[in-house]
Amino acid sequence: MNSYEQLAKKLVARAKKAGAKQAEAFVQVGREATCRVRDGEIEHLTQATSKGVGLRVFVKNRLGFSWTSDFEPSSLTAFVERAVQLAEAAAPNPLNGLPDEDELGDFPEVGPLYDAEVASLAPDWKINAALEMEKAARAFDPRIKTIESVEAGEMVGEVFLASSAGVTGYSQGTSVYLYTGAVAEADGQLQNSWWYDARRFLKDLESPEHVAKEAARRAVRMLGAKKVKSQKVPVIFDPMMAASFIGGIAGAVNGDAVFKKASFLASKLGQPIAPTTVTIVDDGLMPRGLATSPFDGEGVPTRRSPLVEQGVLKTFLYDAFTARKAKTRSTGNASRGYRSLPSIGTHNLYLEPGTVTPEALIKDVSHGFYVTSMLGHGTNLVTGDYSRGATGLWIENGELTRPVQEVTVAGNLLDMLMRIDGIGSDLTFRGSVGAPTIRFNELTVSGE
Amino acid sequence: MSQAPLLSIPLVERLLAAAMERGAGFAEVYVERNENTAVTLDENKVKSAQSGLSQGVGVRVIAGAKVGYAYSDDLDDEALFRAARTAALIAHGGGSEQAFSVRRTPLPTFYRLGEHLSGVEVEKKRDLIVRANRAAHAYDTRVKQVMASYADTTKRILVANTLGHLAEDTQDLCRINVMVVAEGKKGERRTGSFGGGGRVPFTHFDTFTPEHVAHEAARQACATLGAADATAGEQTVVLAPGWSGILLHEAVGHGLEADFIRKGTSLFAGKLGEKVASDLVTVIDDGTMANARGSLNVDDEGAPTRFKVLIERGVLKGYMYDSLNAKLMKTETTGSGRRESFKHTPLPRMTNTYLAPGEDTHEDIIKGVDGGIYCANFGGGQVDITNGNFVFEVSEAYEIKKGRLGRPLKGVTLIGVGPEALKNVSRVGNDPMPDPGMGTCGKDGQGVPVGVGLPTVRIDRMTVGGTKVRG
Repeated sequence: MNSYEQLAKKLVARAKKAGAKQAEAFVQVGREATCRVRDGEIEHLTQATSKGVGLRVFVKNRLGFSWTSDFEPSSLTAFVERAVQLAEAAAPNPLNGLPDEDELGDFPEVGPLYDAEVASLAPDWKINAALEMEKAARAFDPRIKTIESVEAGEMVGEVFLASSAGVTGYSQGTSVYLYTGAVAEADGQLQNSWWYDARRFLKDLESPEHVAKEAARRAVRMLGAKKVKSQKVPVIFDPMMAASFIGGIAGAVNGDAVFKKASFLASKLGQPIAPTTVTIVDDGLMPRGLATSPFDGEGVPTRRSPLVEQGVLKTFLYDAFTARKAKTRSTGNASRGYRSLPSIGTHNLYLEPGTVTPEALIKDVSHGFYVTSMLGHGTNLVTGDYSRGATGLWIENGELTRPVQEVTVAGNLLDMLMRIDGIGSDLTFRGSVGAPTIRFNELTVSGE
Repeated sequence: MSQAPLLSIPLVERLLAAAMERGAGFAEVYVERNENTAVTLDENKVKSAQSGLSQGVGVRVIAGAKVGYAYSDDLDDEALFRAARTAALIAHGGGSEQAFSVRRTPLPTFYRLGEHLSGVEVEKKRDLIVRANRAAHAYDTRVKQVMASYADTTKRILVANTLGHLAEDTQDLCRINVMVVAEGKKGERRTGSFGGGGRVPFTHFDTFTPEHVAHEAARQACATLGAADATAGEQTVVLAPGWSGILLHEAVGHGLEADFIRKGTSLFAGKLGEKVASDLVTVIDDGTMANARGSLNVDDEGAPTRFKVLIERGVLKGYMYDSLNAKLMKTETTGSGRRESFKHTPLPRMTNTYLAPGEDTHEDIIKGVDGGIYCANFGGGQVDITNGNFVFEVSEAYEIKKGRLGRPLKGVTLIGVGPEALKNVSRVGNDPMPDPGMGTCGKDGQGVPVGVGLPTVRIDRMTVGGTKVRG
């Protein structure tokens, strides 16, 4: 048995001995290495290892939680006692506790998440990739005046979970990423844009050249950006902005927010909330997905959950505590690091692609706004009000024309969902959320 | 300081020597030990009590403009020397066998606590949020849900470098926060949120009471029930004093941080001495304010923090520097080098950033507006420091009609370009107000506590985002 697995089990046993009715230890171990270059030279190299454990205990239905990165045996003794003592300060709640037996079970087969090639990536690979990105971004256009940052890095992580409910979980994964931020300049105006890619497997990663060119292309095309008049027009979100929109919607299917009626979707289960072309899925099992894992933060097997299927709201997401409160079962969506208690989160979240090309979605628009970047959070999940700063390109007669900045795009999420009248075929993942290009038939753009 | 150092000084000196083995120009050892406590309340119950401990060492080695960084949360000698030698790899020179000795820098004290927050019983912390919950529910029958939390950290740091400096500090920080959901007619729901704290002793909450915090959060939630949609487009905007300073932090502050200046990614780069704002605008960043959330006796590179005039009567006077960017730009650090933890390298950051007060009264400023929007409270904001675009969510807003506050508005977002907004500042109030101590600023994935502040301010033209188009 691995020493960290042993540690997790030992902490659980000790917590029970110290008076906990139930206990759970969540150990995370990782290492990371990153490289940033500037002007053809290494600017920054980081290399590090880290570890930590979070211990959740239930004493007479009271919840205590403690975490530490200090694994010295003497410190760990005090650490266990502290968690049990802390529970005394919390209120008893009969709903507290580890997942029930019927929520636990065999972990699904999720396929490989660990790439030996990433785990043994030579420092030179990162340096060369970063140098190549810097060169490619500069070469893209003479108006690229400054490279904000180019960076390459990898992470290797392991998770060990043990609980008195009988769960022992282990998972190991890698990730590797490339990032370019480029600044274009013309006529006294600066425009910054970035592009990145992150994958579990080196083979899946976009090339350094592609990442760099994409960042440069996005910066250059924004030069000369201006405000437009306030108006209601069709609005298109590029895949990255569409993913951010879908990510926002996911906050509203959080079972806790729903239970508290703090979600605009709380009363909509089983009802159509979007056109039939819309299917949104949270998938914990997606092959090679960045957020794929056989079990969630409290040891419940993960699954594929359609949230919206052909426009109909199908599921809310739950961890064990919230599920008990809402008289349902955990959906395996307890998300956490060792420093935090489990809370509801998504795995790999995506909007299923349509059949139309993104170009065709633009072609149909006589006047409209193609959004490529946004500022601010601007999503109120209680009311569904949505208002964010936006930049992008103005559409005239089916063509992308001049760049636009300093405007907002606003609407109400319920209304916006219903207004989706086009979904592209270009589903792309940037991180763990993915979406294709989407078009809303009309939103408010505020400018002059 | 009566406590033993976080790491023995001879060991620190040996680590510095190891970090310089390959002939770098500079090395630094940063040691941190951080104790956290948090209590949360939800649905009328104290949900959990939690505590955490993190400790570790970060070693930074600089050779020219190149930085090598390694950190470890294992504090045994082997792990520490491994980190030092890993960071040293950034330099390519040959073995220097130099020894280093460091000497303690005496520090000022901008926060003196009788008892560290980590020593206060968790039951007392719990009682704050229990009281807040009770007070929020008692405020108005329309209050349906209350979430309250209290969190503190007692962070000890030690920074030593090959220039011979050694600084040690203990930094306590706490904050209470209350979020309220109120329900109006037809099930309409609005939220209100308020909180505060700082580098203050626990007795701070004897005067900044949980009841006060709860009432303010509940007031915001209830006041905005029945709010009308804001009209989109350019309008005159009046910012309420206090937390509105977040607008200054985002719209101006970030663009004055030296890394963006050096790399030429900020639109304020190369504009020292130029007029960048209206005459009424004087912007200060001050790390020395007593007990403020953003204050520091010493920054995370061991340099003392300062009072800095960034913009004086509209003219750009200075930037905020950490030591690396200062050196590369041939100037001196302003004590602005901050990092989230030993896992991060320092970046130039703000401390407490505020707009200096002007001469008008709050009442006169509002009276002078024929039509516009009063922004009483802000949610979050974000800025693109390159093109200067910024956005803010206004969580509590009212229309101003003929010099008087009118009905509440919802869904208001302000958007602008930093320098343009500053040029359109036409009135500045005489009511300086620091925020209650609730801000955390994010940059490059690093969060650090900051203070903001602003008197009442009128901005003549600003784009207001909304769903309703005029005409």
